[in-house]
Amino acid sequence: MEALALIQAYTGVGIGLIIGLGAAGACIGIGIMCASFLEGAARQPEMIPQLQGKVFLLLGLIDASFIIGVGLAMMFAFANPLLSVIPK
Amino acid sequence: MTEERNSTSGLDSNEVFSKMLQWQLSATLAVIIIALIVSGMHAAISALAGGLAVTVGAYFASKIAQRSSKEAATVLVNLLKAEAVKIVIIVVLLFITFKVYRQLVPFALIAGLAAAALFSGAAMSKLDRTELEI
Repeated sequence: MEALALIQAYTGVGIGLIIGLGAAGACIGIGIMCASFLEGAARQPEMIPQLQGKVFLLLGLIDASFIIGVGLAMMFAFANPLLSVIPK
Repeated sequence: MTEERNSTSGLDSNEVFSKMLQWQLSATLAVIIIALIVSGMHAAISALAGGLAVTVGAYFASKIAQRSSKEAATVLVNLLKAEAVKIVIIVVLLFITFKVYRQLVPFALIAGLAAAALFSGAAMSKLDRTELEI
C-alpha cells in the first residue's frame, strides 16, 4: 500500500515536470520565433504571406515536443506502467 | 537573365497545409502498419488514435491559420489562435481515447502521436522548393 502511494506521488511530480518544463520550452521557442516574424514583417511587409506558412509549420514543430510530453503525461496518468511492479 | 521563382508565393498556402496533412497521415499509416505487425490489432488502433488526434487538430488549426491579412500582428494572432485550438483538440481527443478505449496500447499511441507531430514539419520541403531559372 505504501509502495502504491509512493509510486503515485512520484508519478504526479513527474507528470507536473513533463508538462511544465515542456510548456516552458515551447513558450520560449514560440516567443523567439514570433519576435523574429514581427521583425521580418516590419523590415519587408511584402514577405508576410510567405512567412505565414513557414511560421505555422515551425509552430507545429516547436509544439511537437510539448504534445509528445502531454501524451506521455496522459499515459502515466491513466495507464501508469510503473504500477505493474506492485505484486497483486 | 536570372529569375528567382518561389513556388509558394503565399496564395497557395492551402497547398502547403494539405501537404502537411498528407505527411502526417502517411507517418501515421506507417506506424499503424508497424504496430499491427509487431503487437496486433489493438496496438494498430491505438496508433491510429494517436495519429488522428494530431492530424485532426492540425486540420482545424490550418483552417484558422489560412486567414490572410496585410497586418503582421493580425497574422500572428491568427497563428497563435490556431495553435491554441490545435493543442486543445489534441488534449481532448487523447483524454477521450484514454478514458474510453480499455484495450489501449499506450506505447503504440505515443508512437503514432510522435510520428504525426514530428512529420508535420516535413511540409517545409514544399515551402523551400525554390527554383532558379537561367
